[in-house]
Order: sequence, then structure tokens, then C-alpha cells
Amino acid sequence: MRVRHTLGAFAVPLLLAAGPYDIPLFATPKAPMVTGAARLVFAESPFGIAVTAEGHAQYDVKVTAANLPAPSALGAYKAYVAWAATPDLQHWDRLGTIRNGTSTVGHVNLDKFLLVITAESDSAPKTHVGPTVLHGTSPSGWLQSFLNHPMFRGITG
Amino acid sequence: MKPRCILLALSLGVPFVASAQDPMNGMHHMPGMKHDSAGMPIPMPQGMPMIPGLVGLVPSGGTFLPGAGIDPERLPPAKPSEVVRLRSGDTLDLTARLVRRTIKGHSFAMYGYNGEVPGPLIRVPQNATIVVRFHNDIDLPSAVHWHGVRLDNRSDGAPGVTQEPVQRGGTFVYTVHFPDAGLYWYHPHVREDVQQSMGLFGNMIVDSPIADYYAPANSEHVMMLDDLLINGDTLVPFGGEGPDFALMGRVGNVLLVNGEPSYAVRVKKGEVARFYLTNTASSRTYNLSFSGAPIKVVASDQSRFEREVLVPSVVLAPAERYVIDVRFAQPGRYAIVNAVQAINHYKGEFEPQLDTLGFVTVDATPATADYAHAFAILRANHAVTSEIDRYRQYFDRAPDKRLTLTLQTTGLPLATVQFMTIDTAYYAPVEWIDGMPDMNWLSTSKQVRWIFRDNATGKENMDIDWHVARGSVVKLRLFNDPKSFHPMQHPIHLHGQRMLVIARDGIRTRNLVWKDTALIPVGSTVDLLIDASNPGDWMLHCHIAEHLGAGMMALIHVDP
Repeated sequence: MRVRHTLGAFAVPLLLAAGPYDIPLFATPKAPMVTGAARLVFAESPFGIAVTAEGHAQYDVKVTAANLPAPSALGAYKAYVAWAATPDLQHWDRLGTIRNGTSTVGHVNLDKFLLVITAESDSAPKTHVGPTVLHGTSPSGWLQSFLNHPMFRGITG
Repeated sequence: MKPRCILLALSLGVPFVASAQDPMNGMHHMPGMKHDSAGMPIPMPQGMPMIPGLVGLVPSGGTFLPGAGIDPERLPPAKPSEVVRLRSGDTLDLTARLVRRTIKGHSFAMYGYNGEVPGPLIRVPQNATIVVRFHNDIDLPSAVHWHGVRLDNRSDGAPGVTQEPVQRGGTFVYTVHFPDAGLYWYHPHVREDVQQSMGLFGNMIVDSPIADYYAPANSEHVMMLDDLLINGDTLVPFGGEGPDFALMGRVGNVLLVNGEPSYAVRVKKGEVARFYLTNTASSRTYNLSFSGAPIKVVASDQSRFEREVLVPSVVLAPAERYVIDVRFAQPGRYAIVNAVQAINHYKGEFEPQLDTLGFVTVDATPATADYAHAFAILRANHAVTSEIDRYRQYFDRAPDKRLTLTLQTTGLPLATVQFMTIDTAYYAPVEWIDGMPDMNWLSTSKQVRWIFRDNATGKENMDIDWHVARGSVVKLRLFNDPKSFHPMQHPIHLHGQRMLVIARDGIRTRNLVWKDTALIPVGSTVDLLIDASNPGDWMLHCHIAEHLGAGMMALIHVDP
């Protein structure tokens, strides 16, 4: 029930159904009442899936959010912007703006990424400067390294 | 034995009845198999040893390789595919036989149709009807399936459903009618994991009478994609009593085009080259590109797309076909590559993997005819759209049948079970490579059972006897369960009919094409609209050969 309390009722089914496309989103102290979740959807393609020529999966992101206050309530901000960031936070791609309800943004061409929603003073900022209100990890972020697992002792990979 | 029992027996592991050699050579060694320099019974990814708990194990059920005891040097060398143009009423003799193939300097006893790899390229006009006299001269029972062709049920080539397997020395006569223009292929439907992998496949191009059915192209090229699993100088043997590599199918480490490890084609500057692509591999899904040359997707399995579209690369699941136009504007050498992001399960990381399948050499001499303008136009195929319009009324109906794709396992090695049980936090929508070949190799069709489960009845695989009326349009919803022991993508093939992939994960497909094979990624829900116009008993199955061999098949009866 703590999960329900934290994320809001609508996020719980997504968590329970978490597959290779579902991203639970977590609020930050800046806006603790905000709830959200995201789902990765393959970008339009004539094939069953969408990938780049290099083989990176190409997703659009359906972000569902609730209880987002007006951006101005957090400061001199006008929009909420979704970003895909590499796990080392060195590279950020702006995906688009989101609102309460469901917004589709994209594309993401990263195999592992963090999904970050920030409040910004511009709907199309070049870099993220405002506060983070929601964040989550792509399902591929759950990939584990087994090199240190007792089963695989001796494997040097 | 009744036909269906034969089918099940062949698929689920009853020993071959017509094998010329005894594949049962014991369970504790791999006869005829040489270890590579690292001492591995199978090739492992570079720098990756076998999991300690699996070292020394071999799959149960013995092994099989074609032509056991025969010196490959005494076999006739495989010939390249020849084009056979047939008219309605013509007859083709097609014989499956042993051939010698030399790959990367090593000679192997393998199979070919009429001594060719790929088999003869059959080219016919739309609506032609031909007769094919199939002769089986290989050391396994066989049959020929005419993949994607909406033909008479009797000639579908599905042992256990439409015919008995053709034993060695036997003959079966097929009548093949081609109602739809497009790109098709033929292959065995008995132990596909062995026979297809060893070279039994060929293309069929059905030409439309419409002169500008496709936009103009300067040249046409056929690419049948395949891979082969070789360890050192030896083919990795196949399971004797049924497929090994049952978890994710056999993924080869030598990529082949038209049976050869290096493909080469020469074109002129500015040329628009049309490629007919077919994925004949047992399990590998390709992501093909041409060094940045623009690719226009024109058609897939059974028709043109509603609208042509430019793409950076072409994704082909097993058994899928695509017709693409590629324009080479500048002279030079263009690598044809398969580029994927593989998962290293030990490191928990994605790693790029790139294989070069061949090259297109573009001469400086300009092409005689300049089709640059036609190539730049993305055509809308109104005839395709208007025909599909008749089916749109069914798009939003409730599914007539819902199937869940999953699996059951029993008796797998403990280390495999341990690893798979804890490696569940993430599964990729598509496994592009075999990142765990040791575990995969040791899984057999006796231990792994891939399943279609009817959500309404709980019935599974061949117990799903789905009857639909001829002329009906039915909606099939497939869900690839990501919570199973080892979820994996499935290229699902329906015999003898045509279908539309109308939605994926609730999102309507906006550019439709008639298909007979559709990729179902892990965790996805895919809606297929089936035009059930062709009466008979038709198989629905996964086209990963080892998944089919491990039970993933059902029947749809289209009642007259």
C-alpha cells in the first residue's frame, strides 16, 4: 500500500504488469504529490519493431502523469519537459513536453536510459536546468551483471 | 500412426524412422565433433567460457549430421541457384539430395534442391498453376511447404496435417497455384532445424501482370539470408531425437547469403537495385542496411504496402520477406551489414555487433536508365488500400481468439535453471543473438515445450482445434507473455491464408500489407486479422525451427 500511496492508484497496475516496456516514475521532494508512469512504444515502422541502422531500439514514450501543478508553482517555469538521459547522465535528449494525462513524446534511441521530467522556462530548452519532478529507469536498466555472482566465479567476461 | 500423430512424433522427439544412420551415439560424447582451441563443444562468444555448472554436459538424445559416414569430397558440389521460369501447366522435378558445400575452406555434407543452394528460383506469372514432382533423396523424411502461397490444402506440404512425410526414395506431387503476386519461398516441414539449416530452401517470385506493379529498377537481386553454426572445422551436430537449442533456436556464427559467406553484386552509379530479401535462418532476426544508401520498402510477404516508405534498415524475422529498392548514387563499395545491439547477459550490458554479409560495388559508369526521380517518389498503392478497405469494418471487433505465447520446461540442467530464474529482471523485445549458447545448446525439445495457450479454453498447441467458416474474417490476438521462464520473440506463420497486422499493443497499424508471418516481440500484444478464404486444415506456428520442433503449433480449420 505504500506503493499505492506514493505513486497513485493508476500507477500500481503498470507496476504489476511491468514488462519490457513499462517505466514506473517516481516523484521528487520538489513536487511529492505528482504521480506518473510511462510506457515505451515502438516508433512507427513497416516492421514489427523499430530500430536504427545500428540496431538501437527506437521508442516513443507515452507518459501518464497526474497532480502536476502549474509549472509556475515551482518557480519561473512554463512547461514540463521529458528527457532521456544516458545512465552516466552525460547525454540528454529532449523528448517533448508533457501535461497531466497522457502525452506521447519521442523518439528515444538509447538502449538504457533514465526518463526524467523537469520543469523548464521554455517548452523546447536546449538543456535541462529546471527541477526534476518525475524520474524513472528504462526496463533495460534492470539488466544485471552476473560476473560477481557465486555461480559464475572464475568467469572473467 | 495417424498423420497428426506422426507430426507430433516428428516434432516432439520420436526417433527418425528413415534415418540412414544411427543418430543414437550415446549421451556422453559428441561423435565426430572436434572441440575448438578453447576446448568448447560449441562456439562461445569471444572471451566467454561456459558456465562452470554446465561444463561437461551434452544434450540428451544423441546427435545427427547429414551424410554421416560419407566423405564430403565424394559428393557433388552445390551449385548456385538457377532461375526456372515456368508457365501455367508446367512441371518441375525437385529433388532433395546430399551436396558438398565448402564454407570458409571446410567441406561439409549438406543438402540442396536439385543440387543447388538455394534451390531453383521459381519465377511464375500471377495466377499460374504448376506441378512440382518432389523426390526425396536425403537421409531424413521430408516434404515441401510452399510458404505464403494460398494454394490447395492438399499441396501445403505439412506432414501430419496434409500429407505423410516423404520417405527417402519417395515422391510426392504438389499442385501449386499462385493467386498473389509477391515473394515466396519453399522449404521442408519436417525437422526444419536440420533440413532448412542444411540448405533446403528456395525462392519463388510471382510476377504481377501489371507493368508498373513495382516502380522501375535497373536490376534485381535475390538475397536468401541464413546462418550456420560451425565450431572450428566442424558443423555443430543437430539433436538426434529432436531439436537441441530449444530455448532460443540455433543461431549460427557464420552468416550466409544465398548459401555463401560472402555476397557480392556490381551495379552502376545512380542505379536503383531491387533486392528480394528472405530470412531463412532458424532463429536469427536481421537488421540489414547498405552503408547509408537509401532504402525504400516496397512490399512484404504477400503484397505491396499501402504506401512505400524510406527506412534506415530492414528488420527481417525468420520466414519474413521484404522487397526493397536501394539507390546507389555514388560510385564506391557499400558494405551490406547486419547491425544489432546484443545483450551481454554476464555484464548486463548492450554491446554492438556488426556482421558484414557482402558488398555492393558501384561502378563510376552511370546507369543506362536514370530512375532517380521514380525512386524519390514514395508511391501510394491505392489498389492495396482499396482492397483492404473491405476489411476495415472488422478492425475494431473483439478478438475471436486470444492466444498466449509461453513455455514450460522440465529437466533442464540446474545451472541453467538457476541462471534463468534470477535473470528475469529484463527481457529484450527481440533477442538478436544467442548470448547464452551453452545453456541454449543443452536445452532439447524433450525439456522445453513452447506453447500457444487458448485464453478461453486453456487448451494448448495441437489441442486447439479452431474452426472458422470459409469466407469469414477473424481476429486473432496474440500475447507474448514476458513472465514466462524464458520469454522470446516469435515469428508466427499462418499457412494457406493471408492476414493483416492491424494493431500492436493497442496502436493501429497505419501502413498495412498482407502478411503470412508476423513478428511478436516479448511482452507485446499483436492483433491479426485473418482473411479465412482458403478451405482446409492449416498450421499456425512459430517459425523459429526449434520452437516449432518443441511444440509451438496449432491448427486452424477453415471449413468449406
